Amino acid sequence: MYGYAGRILRINLTRKTWETEPLSENLIRNYLGGRGFNIRRLFDEAPAGRDGLSPSNPLIIGVGPLNGTLFPGAARFNVSAISPQTGILGDSNAGGFFGPELKLAGFDQVIIEGQAEVPLYLLIQDGSVQFRPAEHLWGLDVWQTDAALHRELGDPRVQVLVAGPAAEKGVKFAGLFANLVRAAARTGMGTVLAAKRVKAIAVRGTLPVRVADPNTFRRLLAEYDRRIINHPEYETRVRLGTTKLVSALNTLGALSTYHYQSGRFAAVDQVSGEALEQRHKKKAKGCFSCTIPCSRFFEIKKGPQAGLKSEGPEFEGLAGFTSKLGNADLATGLKAVDLCNRLGLDLMSTAEVLGFAMEAHQRGMISREEADGLDLTWGNGSTILTLIQKIARREGLGDLLADGVKAAAQRLGRGSESIAMHIKGLEFFMAEPRGIKGYALGLAVASRGGDHLRSEPSFEFSNDAAEGLRRFGAAESAFRLEYRGKGRLVKHFEELSALADALNACKNTIVNMEILSFADTAQLLEATTGFSLSAEEIQQATERIVNLERLFIAQRGITRADDILPARFLKEPLPQDSGPSAGSVVELEPMLDEYYEARGWDRETGLPTPEKLAVLGLL
Amino acid sequence: MYDLRIVVEEVRGFCDLPMQPGDYLEVKGGRIHIPAGKFFCLWALQSLMPMIPAKQRHIVEENDWLPHTDRMICPDPNGLVVFRFEQTPAGHLPPQSPSVPGQESSSQSSSSGPPEDSTRGVARQTQVPADRTFPPAAAPSSVPAGGKEQRPASSSTGQAGETGKASAKPSPDIPPRLLVNTAVCSGCRSCELACSFAHEESFDPTVARIQVKKDEPAGLDFPVACRQCGVASCVNACPEGALSRHPVTRAVRLDVSRCTGCLLCMKACPFEAIRPHPRTNLPLICDLCGGEPACVARCATGALRFGKAGENPPIGYRALTLKRFPG
Repeated sequence: MYGYAGRILRINLTRKTWETEPLSENLIRNYLGGRGFNIRRLFDEAPAGRDGLSPSNPLIIGVGPLNGTLFPGAARFNVSAISPQTGILGDSNAGGFFGPELKLAGFDQVIIEGQAEVPLYLLIQDGSVQFRPAEHLWGLDVWQTDAALHRELGDPRVQVLVAGPAAEKGVKFAGLFANLVRAAARTGMGTVLAAKRVKAIAVRGTLPVRVADPNTFRRLLAEYDRRIINHPEYETRVRLGTTKLVSALNTLGALSTYHYQSGRFAAVDQVSGEALEQRHKKKAKGCFSCTIPCSRFFEIKKGPQAGLKSEGPEFEGLAGFTSKLGNADLATGLKAVDLCNRLGLDLMSTAEVLGFAMEAHQRGMISREEADGLDLTWGNGSTILTLIQKIARREGLGDLLADGVKAAAQRLGRGSESIAMHIKGLEFFMAEPRGIKGYALGLAVASRGGDHLRSEPSFEFSNDAAEGLRRFGAAESAFRLEYRGKGRLVKHFEELSALADALNACKNTIVNMEILSFADTAQLLEATTGFSLSAEEIQQATERIVNLERLFIAQRGITRADDILPARFLKEPLPQDSGPSAGSVVELEPMLDEYYEARGWDRETGLPTPEKLAVLGLL
Repeated sequence: MYDLRIVVEEVRGFCDLPMQPGDYLEVKGGRIHIPAGKFFCLWALQSLMPMIPAKQRHIVEENDWLPHTDRMICPDPNGLVVFRFEQTPAGHLPPQSPSVPGQESSSQSSSSGPPEDSTRGVARQTQVPADRTFPPAAAPSSVPAGGKEQRPASSSTGQAGETGKASAKPSPDIPPRLLVNTAVCSGCRSCELACSFAHEESFDPTVARIQVKKDEPAGLDFPVACRQCGVASCVNACPEGALSRHPVTRAVRLDVSRCTGCLLCMKACPFEAIRPHPRTNLPLICDLCGGEPACVARCATGALRFGKAGENPPIGYRALTLKRFPG
């Protein structure tokens, strides 16, 4: 097969058996790859209900047709299961080198079923699987496990996906980590793997990936590289990556500050991506096959965190442990990110539960005794670092927070539900939804809960009225503080994001920089795989992915009533210190109406109509 | 062997000793001489020390970086004192030279590359000066298939009479090769994919002629590429005469009809730049893609370039890549 490896691996942990099955053309044509393959499998094979920790909940890892090739940024993989944190769709995506290695090892998808009797790790190597004991790895952190496995296997090119100690302890938002810091962190996929008593998945592949039409592929690659390199954002992205957003969003008054109590952080210059670059950056780093190395390696040379060095962080970690918690000390923020990476925690959810605890303290909802004597004042660095470790160990206040902010507020009570910032049980990003309303709508409707990466409608920063009118039928769609046109905007960007995830290529280029249209994709996929799909068929495949995910969560009780933001964003105007975003609230209901209409979903229930499902072949 | 004079050519930063342009020391055999009444910076000297015995020696390997490196910069990032090594055949330095060194080549120092070059530490070895003072290596010559590579016949004293002065001798015509700057390598491994796609039309890092070694906890990335050695151990090690040099690019070539897969070339390579093909077991030999290396074309950072040792690297990603992918 071209592009695809052509084989799916199915592993049963209970019986310690594995088998392979061929990848069907039907799956390819209708779901493209990665996230598309995963939702089809999950929809067909996941048990009814919301129990993410059940042994019958399959953990599925998928890659797309471009992984392993030179397509820029085709380095990602998706991990999917029922989420133990939200009870609905668990799906998480990471870059680095693991995804391509899985393809080179001969598989497009791995389905892990059952539960092992004793801790083990899986070694997937050129089309075969070994079940190897992992008692000696149990309890080790992500970095220690990575080092131990590389020592044990004696091959530096093995790619390792690890569940950290937080996952072993059953923290509900524990992720899976490759290349030390490349986290498929969201929705508790590490928790699922550890519940199956699997510590890690090691992959090594030496099988070639071939494309159907090398000459066309080569020509298209040069064209995409040109688009990336000529893009006005290219240099900023290479310098700062996503950390550019800290100061950019602050300027707009849309940076989560003091747990969404303001859109601007007074000390932003101390903690911005620019500050990180100037003080600590050593060099740019990239994922497999990427033309735009937007990741960064840093080292702290002075001060209490001297010696700390790591790749990263991205915007979410940087803002999450600085502005969001009122912390003006960059080094503490970097240490917090490092702790999350080593302990195997989703840093977005971790930052949210910390912000929740600090705001609860501010409002007198939690006593010092309940906080284990910790001083929960905004910006207290030692509290931040201590609490992260307590969460990973499920100890004291950490235990309260370790099931996510929704569960923590339910247990704490006292009206703390009003300051628990989540959607469908999943915490969300470090931007301020009131300052970017298309993103706010995207969060509300995202299939895995509070998640901006399901849509990323960055077009709303463009301020290009004519383009807004042309593309989305409303000039307002190009302006972040307007709400008209955002339904159609989000629909389109949801499908572009689904495309990026199905190809398992990077959203920086496909979604933010828009280097690949559906028509381009048709050309690219034909050159890569030999399968001829029209631009419409590809658009429809991405729509099918979005709709099937909606069906999956609808089966688990989600309706329009769940497509909601925390009341603060709907009712409390952003305070006056939030610059150009001051006074803004999210006009969610009219945006939702427009969104469902654009989707062909029922406006009352928010569910796909039979007509829409029929068109997509999902009935 | 050479005697050396190490001269302060330029002070780009601030030196508080201070060292000043024209200050120098001389090395004759095992002795360091500092002119009477003058001094030399302890810290600069300890950094220069490893270079001294190396620069005293005549090195025939034309692709070695040492003969091309004539300047070092002091380790103080605020100081940025540039020291120039001048070589004179042993015994030819006058007992005490009262001249004002540095004058004769000031024009060259002013053109010694943009300041980013030195402050970044990208290449402390600067470009080949027009008036290099070491004897040029023999001009490259093609070696017929099966032939052994010879060290250049010219002895170290061949051009001795001209050294130590601005002789304006052209640099030897070394064909370009792969040059690696690990300091900026992002570790993306695109070079491996570009290599395998160019040679085998498949994406397969195991058959790439270039390989990026990585140390992830330390954030280090080392592209291991063939250096196209002037005297290539691999060519000399081949018992079948299967390795030869391309007459134009000077790249080592493999004649697969002669190769038995004994891999003596792999064992001979001092840089571990040769690996076996996983399926044919023949050695993977970098042929520089006939003069347009695919790996370099796809390197986004400039960590890989196709050039001559000592050449000034281009600055910045964008300038580099734009040139490569014209509108």
